[in-house]
Amino acid sequence: MATVALIGNPNTGKMTLFNSLTNKYEYVGNWAGVTVEKKQGQLKDADVTLVDLPGVYSLDPLTKDESVVATYLMQNQPDLILNITNASQLQRNLLLTIEALELARPTVLVLNMVDDLRRTGYDYDLAILQQRLGCAIIETNARSKKGVADVRKAAIEYRQRPTKRLAINYPPMIEQAIRQAEEALVADYHYSATTAHWLAIQFINQNKAIRKYATDKNLQPLLSQQRYYDQQGFADRIFAARQNFIEQTIKAARKPVGNSHDHHLTSRVDRVVTHPVWGPLIFALIFFIMFKLSFDWVGTPLSDMLDGFLSGPVSTTANHLLIQAGALPALRSLVVNGTIAGVGGVLAFIPQIFMLFACISILEDSGYMARAALVTDRLMQLIGLNGKAFIPLIIGFGCNVTGIMAARTIEQPKERLVTTLIMPFMSCSARLPIYSLVVAAFFPRHQALIVLSVYFLGIAVALLVAKCYQVAFHVRQGSVFVIELPEYHLPRPDIIWHGTWDKGKGFIHKAGTIIFAGTVLIWFLSSFGTSGFVTDSTRSFAADLGRWLMPLFRPVGFAHWQVISALFTGILAKEVITSSMMVMFHTSSKAFLIAALGPFMSPAGAYALLVFILLYAPCFATMATIKQETGSTWWMIYSMFSSLGIAYLVAFLTYHIALLIV
Amino acid sequence: MQQEYILQSFKGVNEPTISRLHNLGLCVGCRMQVIQRYPFHGPVIIEAHHQRIGLRYRVFARLLAEE
Repeated sequence: MATVALIGNPNTGKMTLFNSLTNKYEYVGNWAGVTVEKKQGQLKDADVTLVDLPGVYSLDPLTKDESVVATYLMQNQPDLILNITNASQLQRNLLLTIEALELARPTVLVLNMVDDLRRTGYDYDLAILQQRLGCAIIETNARSKKGVADVRKAAIEYRQRPTKRLAINYPPMIEQAIRQAEEALVADYHYSATTAHWLAIQFINQNKAIRKYATDKNLQPLLSQQRYYDQQGFADRIFAARQNFIEQTIKAARKPVGNSHDHHLTSRVDRVVTHPVWGPLIFALIFFIMFKLSFDWVGTPLSDMLDGFLSGPVSTTANHLLIQAGALPALRSLVVNGTIAGVGGVLAFIPQIFMLFACISILEDSGYMARAALVTDRLMQLIGLNGKAFIPLIIGFGCNVTGIMAARTIEQPKERLVTTLIMPFMSCSARLPIYSLVVAAFFPRHQALIVLSVYFLGIAVALLVAKCYQVAFHVRQGSVFVIELPEYHLPRPDIIWHGTWDKGKGFIHKAGTIIFAGTVLIWFLSSFGTSGFVTDSTRSFAADLGRWLMPLFRPVGFAHWQVISALFTGILAKEVITSSMMVMFHTSSKAFLIAALGPFMSPAGAYALLVFILLYAPCFATMATIKQETGSTWWMIYSMFSSLGIAYLVAFLTYHIALLIV
Repeated sequence: MQQEYILQSFKGVNEPTISRLHNLGLCVGCRMQVIQRYPFHGPVIIEAHHQRIGLRYRVFARLLAEE
């Protein structure tokens, strides 16, 4: 089967084109060595596989994600390269095109978003471009499906494309260096002449992925000359030669068409949206609406309905069927109280999460997201992060899982890691029920104020911890914040749906497994005791564990085994804490629980408990996501224990300071 | 009232940022228009080759060799 690789800059509509070319696509695991998902699709009604490579500006990678492209092109021989470009920004898009054309694989250049180009008052003479670049060129407007059929045809007819290498006139010294390296690589290492030529150019041009490859393979012809290449400033001269070529090409091919009404919409919208005063206000308003939609107007009612359905009819029916089938009480308890209650409790979040992701997809597709990052960059720099981290952290207030997944847009791996690690300190909405219970019991007159102080404490801890990581990881070194502000577009429903599904399905698929395992574990601990299966959870292992851990919690002010056991179950999902406490206190009424909690601890202890709940450990779903996004179990374990340590420390300090004041 | 500037130099800008700016087609001698400046040395939005780019003030100042 033939393989067609899609490469292109970010913001060129590559994804839209990919989605219109394929009728189904799938993620086929990760690219080797990085946690970037490999996306493959089947060309509609044809025996051609489309590989979607991550969007990159050049083959020289700045991030791990970007290194995928250079590595792929080096190790695979796609039958055709489809290079998607943004026609109105052809000048900078051609930098990548040149690198692809030097590879001498059959290539088709796609000038996407031609409508935007014509709006700027220009068009390109395709014959001149084709002649100068030596490859076929197709004009498209993927958003309105214009030209998509031509691209499909080109992909099917991949055999008819010539494999001519683009020859750029580099300075003689560089040409000579390339030739020498090429000859040695062919003679001593048995590379084909074209691959050797491309390797030599990329190596001289300081491509980090290729330099690593050369070191791994010990390619002496290149390595021995590395210092010479760099001392002579060859990379800069290659860049200059390419720029020169591009300028000449564009100058020759560009022709004016009619009047320019140069991105009227974008300029006008930007005048308000990126305004120093209105900008931040609009930003706040948009996020307010997004939260209201996800957690108030649409998401939560749907979640409640789903929850009601799962814990009502589904649970009862399952229970009934199991009784009829004569299942053991323990098995019935596992299915009903363990699996359905636990997994169902997490599944109930799906409407909220998908709603939030739909909002984010709309913001991304319209082009607003880049502006939001710009507006908040200044603030985030204070803690060594950049503007792109702000949005994920705000989303974290809704749900940490979605927040961590939204952090994918951050380019710098270290900044992304820090954002992921501080995410659990953002007080997610699942923690609210237990807060409201505790404040109702202990601080009836200052409920809102106390809860607000907990939220702010979470932010303060997150900022402080981020600052520590900044120092520890040397984040500031090499911090990059250069953000392209794409043209505004009216969001298209199918693109929004694709974006939402791509982001959200990971939550269902991958987190589902670990949540299931965790549910079973917690169910086991709270349903079994030293005497075997117990219906009374005060005799369960969880209760024993609570009693056993009690001395440890005396210094932080809440040494009660019921509370500690409930906290333990809260690792499953934060909203479980309340229901666990009800079970431990043998009550089904919230009012009774509030009254029962009162005499158990002092207000200082209660506040320390709030602080501990805020910080103590990410829930199972969050831990699963940390593992998935960092690609390492170690970070997941680290996150759990570090937050436990921080929670204990801060709760201890809070308790003792509160004792002094009260 | 868009001000036009010429990119003077990449001196003092870190390596990855230079790469990124190169990627976006910015080179010494390029023209760029300032679309928006934020107060207190906040970010700067420039336009070059029909594309809008957000930069940190520090980087922008160095591109103009002001620092």
